[in-house]
Amino acid sequence: MLQAEVEETIKRIQSQKGVQGIIIVNAEGIPIKSTLDNSSTVQYAGNVHQLLMKARGMVRDIDPQNDLTFLRVRSKKNEIMIAPDKDYFLIVIQNPTE
Amino acid sequence: MSNTTVKQKRTALKVVKSSKTLNVSSGVFRVNQSITKTINPSISGKSFSSASDSKVLDKSLAQTPKHTVQVFDEHGQDVTPHPLYNPDPGVLQPKQGKIFPAHDTSWTTMTDFPSVAFQTTNASFTGPFTKSFFGSVSASRTSQTTESVTDETKELLVKPDLSSSLSDVQARREEVKEQVREDIMDRVVDSYLTETETIWLLDIPAVSVSEDSGDAEAVKERNNAYTELCKNRHGNDKYVERSMQTFNDAPKTKEVQSDSITMVDKAVMSTTWDMYDSFCNKGDVSENTVVSAEGNKATVPDSSSMSHLLNPSGPDQSMSVFSTTSTVSGSSARLEKMTCVLPVEEEPDLELILQSDKFKQDLAVMERVVLANIFQPKLAAYRQLPVIEDPDCVQTQIEEESWTEQSKNSLSPFLEHLWVFKCELTKGRNVSSMTWNKKNPDLLAVGYGQLDFKDQKPGLVCCWSLKNPTWPDRIFHCESGVTALDFSACNANQLSVGLYDGTIAIYNVQTTEQTPIIDSSDCTNMHACPVWQLRWVDHDTGLAGEDKGEMLISVSGDGRISKWIHYKGLECVDLMKLKSPNMIVNNQRWNPKILSLAPGLCFDFHPNDSKIYLAGTEEGHIHKCSYSYNEQFLETYKAHTGPVYKVTWSPFCPDVFLSCSSDWTIYLWRQELSKPVLGFTSGQKVVFDIMWSPHCATVFGAVREGKVEIWDLRVSSLDPTIVSASSPGVNPTALLFTPETDCVLVGDSEGQVTVYKLKNLPAGDSTQVEVLEDVIQTTLSSQHTLGKTDRDA
Repeated sequence: MLQAEVEETIKRIQSQKGVQGIIIVNAEGIPIKSTLDNSSTVQYAGNVHQLLMKARGMVRDIDPQNDLTFLRVRSKKNEIMIAPDKDYFLIVIQNPTE
Repeated sequence: MSNTTVKQKRTALKVVKSSKTLNVSSGVFRVNQSITKTINPSISGKSFSSASDSKVLDKSLAQTPKHTVQVFDEHGQDVTPHPLYNPDPGVLQPKQGKIFPAHDTSWTTMTDFPSVAFQTTNASFTGPFTKSFFGSVSASRTSQTTESVTDETKELLVKPDLSSSLSDVQARREEVKEQVREDIMDRVVDSYLTETETIWLLDIPAVSVSEDSGDAEAVKERNNAYTELCKNRHGNDKYVERSMQTFNDAPKTKEVQSDSITMVDKAVMSTTWDMYDSFCNKGDVSENTVVSAEGNKATVPDSSSMSHLLNPSGPDQSMSVFSTTSTVSGSSARLEKMTCVLPVEEEPDLELILQSDKFKQDLAVMERVVLANIFQPKLAAYRQLPVIEDPDCVQTQIEEESWTEQSKNSLSPFLEHLWVFKCELTKGRNVSSMTWNKKNPDLLAVGYGQLDFKDQKPGLVCCWSLKNPTWPDRIFHCESGVTALDFSACNANQLSVGLYDGTIAIYNVQTTEQTPIIDSSDCTNMHACPVWQLRWVDHDTGLAGEDKGEMLISVSGDGRISKWIHYKGLECVDLMKLKSPNMIVNNQRWNPKILSLAPGLCFDFHPNDSKIYLAGTEEGHIHKCSYSYNEQFLETYKAHTGPVYKVTWSPFCPDVFLSCSSDWTIYLWRQELSKPVLGFTSGQKVVFDIMWSPHCATVFGAVREGKVEIWDLRVSSLDPTIVSASSPGVNPTALLFTPETDCVLVGDSEGQVTVYKLKNLPAGDSTQVEVLEDVIQTTLSSQHTLGKTDRDA
């Protein structure tokens, strides 16, 4: 039942205006769920992983008790939103001006 | 001749015996004066001179006599000290002038040939003869015995012989030697120790000479001579330059092999958070150091080394995301436990992730973020922030048109449509009530329920957040239609819901549970008719007794205004019964036996004085009541001819209140006047809801069938300032102003809650209370002047 709720939420996000894809990546950098095609998924997962480590390292360097909770990368064409966690990270790519 | 003489002497000598030393050579030596090359015996000076060549003698002068001394101790052992120098027997002395050091000779057959026939006893030589011939050694020859002299003389005649017949000599020597040894064994021998002359080992002459010494002059002269020589040397024919070539030996390559030196690069980056983690995890890591099996290839070799190495590779591990959990630890911890445990779940289950709470939270946040992107301009407008256009945004044609339209009307007040709260669930439902959360101004509770007695279906309460206009945060399904809502002010998470069937339920919006905290369905006194209005009222004005704190007051269609107490279930106490004052039976104004209660539709407590409240009934009367007095009304205001749907006190003017009714009218009242001051009508439409603007005293909104009106009394009291028509078929049914911003929410019969922004309303510095007062005064005065006023007691 909980999973149904989660699935529903994912579907809702997917149906929002301009959302291009959702990717869920596990702790090792392997995408476990994605709405994009395989090559893009793998690309996003790999690159985001590295960026996350850097960002987290930076945040914790300044204050070790702090931790990264959300990361948004705004580019010309779209925005990549990343919610990291210990076991996974969630990536949503959106182009809000579509 | 000499030979013969020698021979003669030799025989007389008996060298073997007489000689004190085992000087084998003694028997051998023959003077060979003819051979100047021989190494000679300077010693035998006498024989030389006698014999012939003084040349030999002369040359032998330079020689230093070395006499072999053989020392025997008491036992007859030869303890003669060895001389320091043993000349090579095979080497012929090139010069006669060469000095012979030693002749230890005696038992070494080798050395004896060249060695001089220096016989044993030096003393023998040193007699009167020696002085003339051996200059340097004179001193040593003093000790002599007379005996030996005679011997010596004889021995003197013995000359070393270096004739070609060496071989013969040698043979003889050996023979003689043997003989000598046997004979001499028992013999007592006198030995004489003499000092040898000084043996120069190293002689570095001085480089400089003191000026005081005698040689100074000579040295100076020589120096001068030398410098002159050097000067003259250049260009002098006497000196010829000549160069020499040295030969380089042929090189030879030699190969050597050594073990290759393996170089390993090791790098560690210590970061602040890394060290912090180590400190924190130091205590935890007693058992396991979790190393992930898969993952970055770069860290795999490190992990293997980590198992037997200590710290240095640790920080490398921490770079990767998954190992930030517990891999990094102090070196001491590593020392204790070297085990590396692979993580239990190699691939954390998709299921596990999806079901974790954190993931849901993240999803929710993500959804809000995504929506924020979409609704950002609208939300900015809502919050009265400057709307900044996205530079990357490409505006479509349609949007541009709508913008231009609105910009045309930019001067006149209008309602700017921002967004709509709607979703699948709410489709087709009628919005009956809306309320803001007291604590979180972004949280909106909307109740859906039919107001008519027909078309009743299960109701719905949705808690919407401004951050997510597409899906409510909380959804509560109710059994019957929702007719009233209110958030508690004390406990901001409690939402009281009034239902069409008269039930009052209190929900906790913090959870998603569908069941209310408490329900009034068990209460015996519960309302029998729909609860039309609910209000949490805070009685902080020091009532004696138990009525302190916040209470839930409700008015329902059964004519009661009740106070609900949360005590082992909801208990209610009637505050007032809305008796219908028009029951006049038998010319009596009030018949207590037949009590009919008029259904109450609304009420409102005075904002300043919480004891006074107004109640509107279905008959069109508005009663002013007191909290503490539940028998009679304080006052009754009659003007409406239809059910009063809403009555509200003005938040700014303490005596003014508004009422709206289904008789198409809105009345503005003053508390002390029993007649309304102003009436507002526009069209013949039922007014469902009204509300004062929380910002401006002269503004209020009204919802009629088919349109939304915003009235501003500064501008006009005859016409609404803004009229916004809704889509055909859709009736706006609820109105709500936002407490913080200048927006208004309109709920309609299709389940949509639209957010509008009030634009271009005349802004004022203050709340315009004075203006309202003025308006009222002028109206009143004009009324006075117009005609008699009709006042009811």
